[in-house]
Amino acid sequence: MAAEGAGGLRFLALDPEARALGLRPGEPLGRVRARIGVPLQVHPADPDSDRAALLRLCRWAEGYAPGVAPFGPAEAADGFYIDVAGASHLRGGEGPLVDDLAGRLARSKIPARIALADTPGGAFALARYGASDRVIVPPGGAAEPLRALPVEALRLDPGTVSGLRRLGLRRVGEIDALARGPLARRFGEALLLRLDQAMGRRPEPLAPLTAEAAYRAARGFLDPIGRQSDIVVTARLLMAEIAPRLERDGLGACALRLVLYRVDGVMRVLDLGLSWPERCPERVAALVSLRLDRLGAGLDAGFGFETVALTVTVTGALSARQTELGAAPEGDGIDALADALAQRLGRPLLRLGARASHIPERAAQPLPWTRAPTSWPDHRPPRPLVLFPRGEAALDVLSTVPEGPPRRFRWRARIHAIVHAEGPERIAAEWWHAPGAARDYYRVECEAGRRLWLYRDGPHAPGRPAAWFVHGVFA
Amino acid sequence: MGLDPANQTGRDPAPGSPREQLAALRVRLAGPGAPAAPRPVLPLGLTAVDAHLPGGGLALGPPHEVAPAEPADASAALGFALALCALHLARAEGAALIAAAPNQPLPHGHGLAGLGLDPARLLLLEAGSDAEVLRALEAALHARALPALVGLLADGLPLKPGRRLQLAAEGGEGDAPPLLVILRPAEAGLPNGAATRWRIASAPAARDRFGTLDNPRWRARLERCRNGRGGAWLLEWDHAAHRLRLPEPLARDAAAAGRSRA
Repeated sequence: MAAEGAGGLRFLALDPEARALGLRPGEPLGRVRARIGVPLQVHPADPDSDRAALLRLCRWAEGYAPGVAPFGPAEAADGFYIDVAGASHLRGGEGPLVDDLAGRLARSKIPARIALADTPGGAFALARYGASDRVIVPPGGAAEPLRALPVEALRLDPGTVSGLRRLGLRRVGEIDALARGPLARRFGEALLLRLDQAMGRRPEPLAPLTAEAAYRAARGFLDPIGRQSDIVVTARLLMAEIAPRLERDGLGACALRLVLYRVDGVMRVLDLGLSWPERCPERVAALVSLRLDRLGAGLDAGFGFETVALTVTVTGALSARQTELGAAPEGDGIDALADALAQRLGRPLLRLGARASHIPERAAQPLPWTRAPTSWPDHRPPRPLVLFPRGEAALDVLSTVPEGPPRRFRWRARIHAIVHAEGPERIAAEWWHAPGAARDYYRVECEAGRRLWLYRDGPHAPGRPAAWFVHGVFA
Repeated sequence: MGLDPANQTGRDPAPGSPREQLAALRVRLAGPGAPAAPRPVLPLGLTAVDAHLPGGGLALGPPHEVAPAEPADASAALGFALALCALHLARAEGAALIAAAPNQPLPHGHGLAGLGLDPARLLLLEAGSDAEVLRALEAALHARALPALVGLLADGLPLKPGRRLQLAAEGGEGDAPPLLVILRPAEAGLPNGAATRWRIASAPAARDRFGTLDNPRWRARLERCRNGRGGAWLLEWDHAAHRLRLPEPLARDAAAAGRSRA
């Protein structure tokens, strides 16, 4: 049971036991509580989760046909359209397709009414108000069953419905028999539009969940597949199917999505990113193989996958390249390696990048390796080979002059005696980011020959001894 | 959707692609009695050191292990490993890959100039564990796309992964295998099949004519060298010329130089 505030709490949905008590959706909760003595279990409605669940179901239904559109505000109900035109033969015809869909939904404990008709409007009307919960109308035969349905089946707004009822018009057939001009004047163009859409006199384009990707290929299997090698081979064949289309448009795939539809309705989505546009089926298959390697048992093939679909989600320009006979594979091979590492380890290949900042810890950041190398300033005096993210405190600092570098200090549980020091190099704080004291950096070499990069945080004040930090180590 | 699976076999690439045919032709032209090519090596450019190494340099392909003498010398060991990379990159095209386990010291881009290494020729992979580092190195060895590889391990190189790396290095054909350097912490010593094992300690740096710190110097000890001899040297890395050299024994360094020659 679910309830939701709309001028007080009202029922949105009820389970069968509640219906047996005589409760109806739309009733105010308070009145019902007063009327019946049975304790009620009320859950707040969660429209976002409902919507997400519906979209998940739509995604799943894409296994039947690529064009799946969820119901919108006009339908005022939960459900979706599947455009099976040209796809029903894959399931052995319309009858087996509907049976298959109904069977699977029933196994998932989803109560469903299914209708298959020439038009979305007709299918909606028959599914919602038809006599049976599984209706298949032969082509061109939708008009007769529709005439017997109540006018609500036409997806009209409630005001129009009550207006029609007041005039005694209860059936679709009764409206259809009337003159169109007076109807349009009385109830507006929307009524005729809905009527014509249901009867198939006007087209009704569906807005599929995703605009059907131009670069998509899918394959269904009579016997579900579960072995990794089978999936890899399928991915290669699917890419080989897409590649000519990409080549014709001078494009390559930058990102791919491999969707595996499991027999029990669970979907596995593998998103593959590539560092360069690519349309070579072997490379795509190799990446899929690496990704499956990484997933291992996480893929959980269960009883197998019945449909495998490959979609190019991001494309990039890739013009035909002249390849040298017998030469090494295209590119210098780093892109292949980067993709392999990304799929196998899930970690990106990076390059070192410089940032425009004087603060040492802010002056460098890793970049994706595909980015152009940054230019590095020539540092005099040089910077350490290893820089700590933040300075590590040097303790027990002993200096001969307060302003000068230390003579000895303790760092990482070891006393360092300084034999040589160079500096200071003063680096002021970036006041536009955060105020702070200027740092005086020294390069020091200790007795053992280790070279450290030290800084004093702020100037030395008589009452407050300066704090020293080790910020890096030279090679 | 809806393609007959039966007609897909024709799409498989033919086994006799031009590249494979050319490779087969080259084998036939070389003939069965052709002498095996010598193993490619990276000479360190120092006769005193190269004489200890089989083939006159660090063998390309098998792993070379570099460890600091003490935990505090970690950056010296990293500097030595990167100096070897710079030495190799000066002769080879391409970039070096550093694959690092978590919490290992990574090179600072602005500090690489001190070693004469161009940061643009360095790629970085921050792996989640030693196992990931080893898998990345293995993939890179198979790919043959990078001339130098450095692995920064937290627990050292075990025997079996070391052997896998060795096989991966030998497996490829065509170009010379990359230089493979494994850097590990001082305490993580494991028996493994590394071709050489170096132990690096910091040494007082060279001074330029104004008395300021100049080229870094390391006390390098060749602890283990398959088919070669061990040794210990005081090495100086000249970042401008991209070469290692044995510093002249100055009066200040007499004690250190004497130890290294011992």
